[in-house]
Amino acid sequence: MISVENVSKVFNEGTAQAFEALHAVELEVSKGETIILSGVSGSGKSTLLSLIAALDKPSSGKITIGGELVSKLPDLHASAYRAKSIGFIFQHFNLLESLSVEENVIAPLINSGLDIVTIKEMAAKSMDRAAISHKASQQVKELSGGEKQRCAIARALVHEPELIICDEPTANLDRANSLKFIEILQSLYERGKTIIVATHDPLFESLPFVGKVVHMEDGIIVNREQGADQSE
Amino acid sequence: MPGNMIMKNAFLHFLTLLLFKQKGKHIGAVLISVIIIFLLSSVLFISSSLQKTLLDTLEYQSDFTVSRVQAGKSVTTPVDWVDKIIEINGVTKVAPRIYGRYFFAPREESFLLFGVDFFDEQSSKVFESLVKEVDLKSFLTTESMLVGSGVRSFLSKHYYKENFSFKTPKGSFKKVKIEEVLPSQSGLISNDLILMPIDLSREIFGLEENEVTDITFNVPNDAEWDNIIAKLHLLFYDIRVVEKREIKKAYENLYNYKGGLFLILYLVTIVTFMLILYQRYSMVYSTERKEIGILRAVGWSIKDILKLKFYETVVVVFVSYIVGVVLAYLYVFIFDAPILSQIFLGGANLTNHVTFVPVLKFGLLGSIFLFYAIPFLAAVLIPAWKIAVTPPKEAML
Repeated sequence: MISVENVSKVFNEGTAQAFEALHAVELEVSKGETIILSGVSGSGKSTLLSLIAALDKPSSGKITIGGELVSKLPDLHASAYRAKSIGFIFQHFNLLESLSVEENVIAPLINSGLDIVTIKEMAAKSMDRAAISHKASQQVKELSGGEKQRCAIARALVHEPELIICDEPTANLDRANSLKFIEILQSLYERGKTIIVATHDPLFESLPFVGKVVHMEDGIIVNREQGADQSE
Repeated sequence: MPGNMIMKNAFLHFLTLLLFKQKGKHIGAVLISVIIIFLLSSVLFISSSLQKTLLDTLEYQSDFTVSRVQAGKSVTTPVDWVDKIIEINGVTKVAPRIYGRYFFAPREESFLLFGVDFFDEQSSKVFESLVKEVDLKSFLTTESMLVGSGVRSFLSKHYYKENFSFKTPKGSFKKVKIEEVLPSQSGLISNDLILMPIDLSREIFGLEENEVTDITFNVPNDAEWDNIIAKLHLLFYDIRVVEKREIKKAYENLYNYKGGLFLILYLVTIVTFMLILYQRYSMVYSTERKEIGILRAVGWSIKDILKLKFYETVVVVFVSYIVGVVLAYLYVFIFDAPILSQIFLGGANLTNHVTFVPVLKFGLLGSIFLFYAIPFLAAVLIPAWKIAVTPPKEAML
């Protein structure tokens, strides 16, 4: 489903501060597979996720998802691709603090052409899945870290994306909330979603539904390990 | 049903949400905008109203006013000039006038004293609107005067309730009854005005029977105006001719000039305000950057972001504009523009209580809106666009 071919990313290209965050990365992710990108901070995991989610463009190489070349998409198409196919869960949640949980969850669907009643129905389902329905009308700024994470999950799932991308999802959570997050992740896996998680949390490495663990170092993939899930 | 569709429109729903939930973000911009729009609209309302009042009054005035000038100084005009002027072809309604400032030495104030031949058709027309409710017959049979509201309150303050005694050049006093107060709507022209029969004013100013201060007349054919002026100068070597169109231009210039000064101040203020807005949206306001970054990350395109910011700003601009204009309307036309009116009417020796006649120039209001809305939109949309085109991850930092 996802093919990353010879992808490099250089920040501040052509300047004295030029920095190569990714170098000739090759990665294949099958449909319905869960993969873990591990490595220390600065190893290039987040950059690779941004490129896969079309939040940024690679300096060279190409990324295709479901046969579509996403690395060269113009803004309008890249936005449409994110709105339709990607559910991104950020380390710092990245929620609109002045809005409520429900209002954050509906944000990805505002420009979908659906009416607000339908959107709210979809948001209700998504909040149910993320176990945050009871806080639907609460302001995000009043939530705990774990609740914020579940709100971010509900927002990422509201449009039923095929690909779920998580960037350090448990970095700001305690162990109990991390385990709850893993439970939700497992349910998504069981529903056939493709999942990529960038983390250095050891909790993820031995999960039964993980198909592949990819180790990164200084922008290069240094090691690929088979995960516990051998279903492919 | 369109109403139902609007209610169900997700974009409008989200826009309303953001406007209400983030009202703190907009309140500063709205407040400053309301003040700017209020001040500018007030100035324009005042200047338009004053111009209209003056120009309406001028409509009834004679086309020409002539007086004698000797060695560059105005002196009394012989009343027999009336007979010579009336001989000129094309001239109509020639009337003598007496006017001048009467200085009230004990309080160092002066009034504009106007002696009018009330039987003269043209004079009657000029003051028709001012003296609508006065019984002219009884007024003319007694030694009475009509006074402006400023004169009335000044005299009352100094215990002249029913009469006032004018001191003549011969040293005697002439007691004149205060018949009526001129309507406050005409305050601009009548505030320090005293109207009385021409013979009474002649006595107060100490003029001879054959003297007046000036003579007014009309020339119905505009094309003849320059010819008539030339003929007057041939007829009298010591004549000064003032045309109505000159007075009209002077009035227009005076209020355009005062309005123009405010316009410059407005432009300086608005440029400063827009720069502040621009800075706020471009760099300083990090939550704004983050919000745009988050929306971009969850699938909003640059176009969607600009659409949101555009409508958000349009609502802020409209609300500020409407509130500013309505407040200005109330301030000028209901409360008679305290403080600001004195800037416009400054120079009058008596405190002027003017009731402004409502004048709405929609072209002008439209121009204010455009001058305000376009820079405002630009000040918000350009930085919003700059943020929207940066990679969402960078914007969210």
